[in-house]
Amino acid sequence: MAGSSTVLEDSSLLSRLDRALVPLERFMALLSGLAVFVLMCLAVYSVSGRKFFNSPLPGYVDLIEAAMPFIAFLGIAYVQRNGGHIRMDIVVGALKGRALWLFELISTLLILLLIVMLVWGSWAHFDRSFDLSRPMWSRDSSIDIGLPIWPSKLVVPVAFSVLVLRLLLQIWGFGRALVLGLDRPVAVPLIQSIEEQARAEAEALEEDA
Amino acid sequence: ATEWNVSVWGKRRAFTEHIEKLAELVSEKTGGEFTMNVSYGGLSKNRENLDGISIGAFEMAQFCAGYHPDKNRVITVLELPFLGVNTLEEEVAVSHAVYAHPAAVDEMAQWNAMYLMTSPMPQYNIVGTGEPRDELGEFDGMRVRATGGIGKAFEAVGAVPTSVTSSEAYQAMESGVVDTVAFAQHAHLSFGTINEADWWTANLNPGTVNCPVVVNIDAYESLSDAEREALDSSVPEAIDYYLENYGKLLTRWDEVLEEKGVEKVMLSDATIADFRATAADPIREAWISDMESQGIPGQELYDLVMETLDGTRAGN
Amino acid sequence: MDDITIGLWVTAFLFAMVVIGMRVAFAAGLAGFVGLVWLRWNGFDYDPARFGKALEISVKIAGQVPHSKVSSQALSLIPTFILIGYLAFYARLTSAMFEAAKRWFAWVPGGLAVSTVFATAGFAAVSGASVATAAVFARIAIPEMLKVGYNKQFAAGVVAAGGTLASLIPPSAILVIYAIIVEQDVGKLLLAGFIPGAFSAVVYAVLIIGIAVVFKTVGPPVTGFTWRERFASLPPALPIVAVVVIIIFFVYNPFGDAWGTPTEGGAVGAFIVFVMALARGMRWGQLKEALIETAKLTVMIFTIIWGVLIYVRFLGFADLPGAFSDWITTLTMPPMLILVCILLAYAVLGMFMDAIGMLLLTLPVVYPAVMALNGGEMVSLEESTFGMSGPMCAVWFGILVVKMAEFCLITPPIGLNCFVVAGVRPDLSVQDVFKGVTPFFIADAVTIALLVAFPAIVLWLPSLA
Ligand code: NA
Ligand code: NA
Repeated sequence: MAGSSTVLEDSSLLSRLDRALVPLERFMALLSGLAVFVLMCLAVYSVSGRKFFNSPLPGYVDLIEAAMPFIAFLGIAYVQRNGGHIRMDIVVGALKGRALWLFELISTLLILLLIVMLVWGSWAHFDRSFDLSRPMWSRDSSIDIGLPIWPSKLVVPVAFSVLVLRLLLQIWGFGRALVLGLDRPVAVPLIQSIEEQARAEAEALEEDA
Repeated sequence: ATEWNVSVWGKRRAFTEHIEKLAELVSEKTGGEFTMNVSYGGLSKNRENLDGISIGAFEMAQFCAGYHPDKNRVITVLELPFLGVNTLEEEVAVSHAVYAHPAAVDEMAQWNAMYLMTSPMPQYNIVGTGEPRDELGEFDGMRVRATGGIGKAFEAVGAVPTSVTSSEAYQAMESGVVDTVAFAQHAHLSFGTINEADWWTANLNPGTVNCPVVVNIDAYESLSDAEREALDSSVPEAIDYYLENYGKLLTRWDEVLEEKGVEKVMLSDATIADFRATAADPIREAWISDMESQGIPGQELYDLVMETLDGTRAGN
Repeated sequence: MDDITIGLWVTAFLFAMVVIGMRVAFAAGLAGFVGLVWLRWNGFDYDPARFGKALEISVKIAGQVPHSKVSSQALSLIPTFILIGYLAFYARLTSAMFEAAKRWFAWVPGGLAVSTVFATAGFAAVSGASVATAAVFARIAIPEMLKVGYNKQFAAGVVAAGGTLASLIPPSAILVIYAIIVEQDVGKLLLAGFIPGAFSAVVYAVLIIGIAVVFKTVGPPVTGFTWRERFASLPPALPIVAVVVIIIFFVYNPFGDAWGTPTEGGAVGAFIVFVMALARGMRWGQLKEALIETAKLTVMIFTIIWGVLIYVRFLGFADLPGAFSDWITTLTMPPMLILVCILLAYAVLGMFMDAIGMLLLTLPVVYPAVMALNGGEMVSLEESTFGMSGPMCAVWFGILVVKMAEFCLITPPIGLNCFVVAGVRPDLSVQDVFKGVTPFFIADAVTIALLVAFPAIVLWLPSLA
């Protein structure tokens, strides 16, 4: 099971687009991390409020549930860019050259198919909860404090749309590699051997150990 | 042959027995031509059941109004605190009266849904630990697990509604996160809060949740006449079966209280009247004006509940 | 075509996509989506005019799942548990833990190896990630063992095996995932992990002492620490104790008046480690890195979760889990033998798959079958097959499969812990680590056998709660 990989860069248009998208993806991932941090602070606030001041945070559960989509989806394109979503690469890991790019292209096209469908479906899910004519535009509200749910539903199609952009770039990258028979194409995650991967994992901890 | 998927949640329990009965009756009456496949959580999350109906994912579903008030504003009238509903029969009567109101029908139609029947729930009385709280002053600072209108009612008398999910309610009570939990009897049993309780308020009757069963309009209209007739005619029988079955559970409830050594607390009429005045009136008025401002006949709906309640009592 | 057949074809399609290297999360999501469309269109008798309708309904069903399933308070434990692990590096808790374990336990035969096992177990109490634990201790513990003459392969094996403890001893992201999938109480499952985790550590320690007595592969005991030095080693490791105590007090308070729910416990634990890391010099740059790393791992896990849940939603419409349980319960084999076969199947599958992916993909079908074997989800102790109530069986099976998943981290051909240890130490090949870790297979096999034979080891603690 491989998690990480490397992405090569050069001065081509594709690579420039790849690098142009990274700051947005990374910023969204950072927002997701910050949402985890907020979640942690919320719990401390809720516990101490209840324990020491008899004033629990109203709607604590509602707030957590509203925060979870921000945590779970915002970083999705960033992880895809670096090839971080888990897969089993025993078979593709053994392939080289055009055969490898063909398999990568097929699976990336399939992912695109799924995500485009999910942009549609998750937008519909958002749309059912959203009504401009209502107070707080809300047509779906939380159980405890009546928080509108549409903002956290909107996160999903937004994050998936950025992922669509990322997938289009990767399809371009793999397609180009397939047609030109490239060895080390840019803008796509290249499989690291499991040894390289372990070394990268170890190096990540180097400064801190 | 017609096969309907029905989305409910949790496990099969008193709360779902009318649906099981309905499925049985419908199949019987149509000679197996019209069957229902009841799924406990496999088709949707409970709070998305109405969405599932609206997109045509399944043909029938159960949900509770308080799960998402903004999806079903009209029937939240039935979750107002201290409506004065005392029995499950009264709960059925007021629910079905409101379900038939044009505002309710219209709001459900926006979800491509129509109300079929209710799942009457008894009043959400509280269980608690420590000394029984049977005076209004004792609710001050009490941490209570209660949602929606009931939570607001307790807040009005100084209690502190505390967010925990129903599955964490037992743990929250055991650990002192909350002092009291408001549930119907079957939930006190199935979530184990009764095991931790020292007392239960037998007559506080602060309100309950309203959980209708709805069907997809397209699916309903595409039934054959015989099938529709079988469905419609089975609703009263299914409700009767539910009431009978829940009645058994309520009888057992007294035994459970005794078995677990839980004290049955009776509040004085004066205390309850006091609670009503402090909590129920302002919450109701706020609800009515909120609804009216959104173009929903709040006052009319509330009056409908009261008239139906009177009518039901006069009939008995 | 009947629904079950469609369910089987779609499942075969899913496995084919996983084998050709499609990301597991998206393979599962796509399989689920295709399955939903197929099922619906099959219901429309493949009428071409109604394909659009079948597609639209399926898109909308699938499109609900990601938001709907992720908005869960119980799942919020996963990011906080992951955050704790990253913050723990910056709080320098790992080296403190090893130093304390060394001073207290290194005097026994095989002392440094035993200390390593206990230090990894201690670190496991703040970290949910097995692979990270192995990487950290490969750097801290292996040099010390080599210094006093340990066999290189053996030292590496100790670290690779010790790393696996992180997912059994709470906090554990994988136990939370199990609890969510099977809809059981998260607190009970986390609590249930304590004793089997500690038990595994003790079995490892006993094995090491045995090897130290019989073979020459381990170095001499390390003695000479004074009691003063021993006690002095404790304060730097204290935050770990604080976090453990907090989680215990949140999950189950022996003294009655506890502080909150397990979800709050995880978050408060993370906060303490955060404060500790700040005190030990963590800066914004490092915090930002920790947050992005947390986000990456969290997103990766959540993507698998919702992807698989789209597939599970399809299974719900096809009722495949029901059919599989029906089939399992009609088998004439003894139920215990069936359970053992299921565990062995996990051992084989785990050789090729990631632990989280493996559990998420298989549990929706396997779990109901195991519960049916025991006599149903709500079966009482007296009427059950395995001598435990339905909810207790859920806890027991959870600990067993997580232990299996951990076992797979040290088995060839792709036991990730072994690769990580070899990656940290350039002087060690992967084969060396696999060789060194072999004795621990036996320890794990013994542990799993004991957990199967004596469920009380798992169930005693949660039965108190
Ligand atoms: Na752990
Ligand atoms: Na493995």
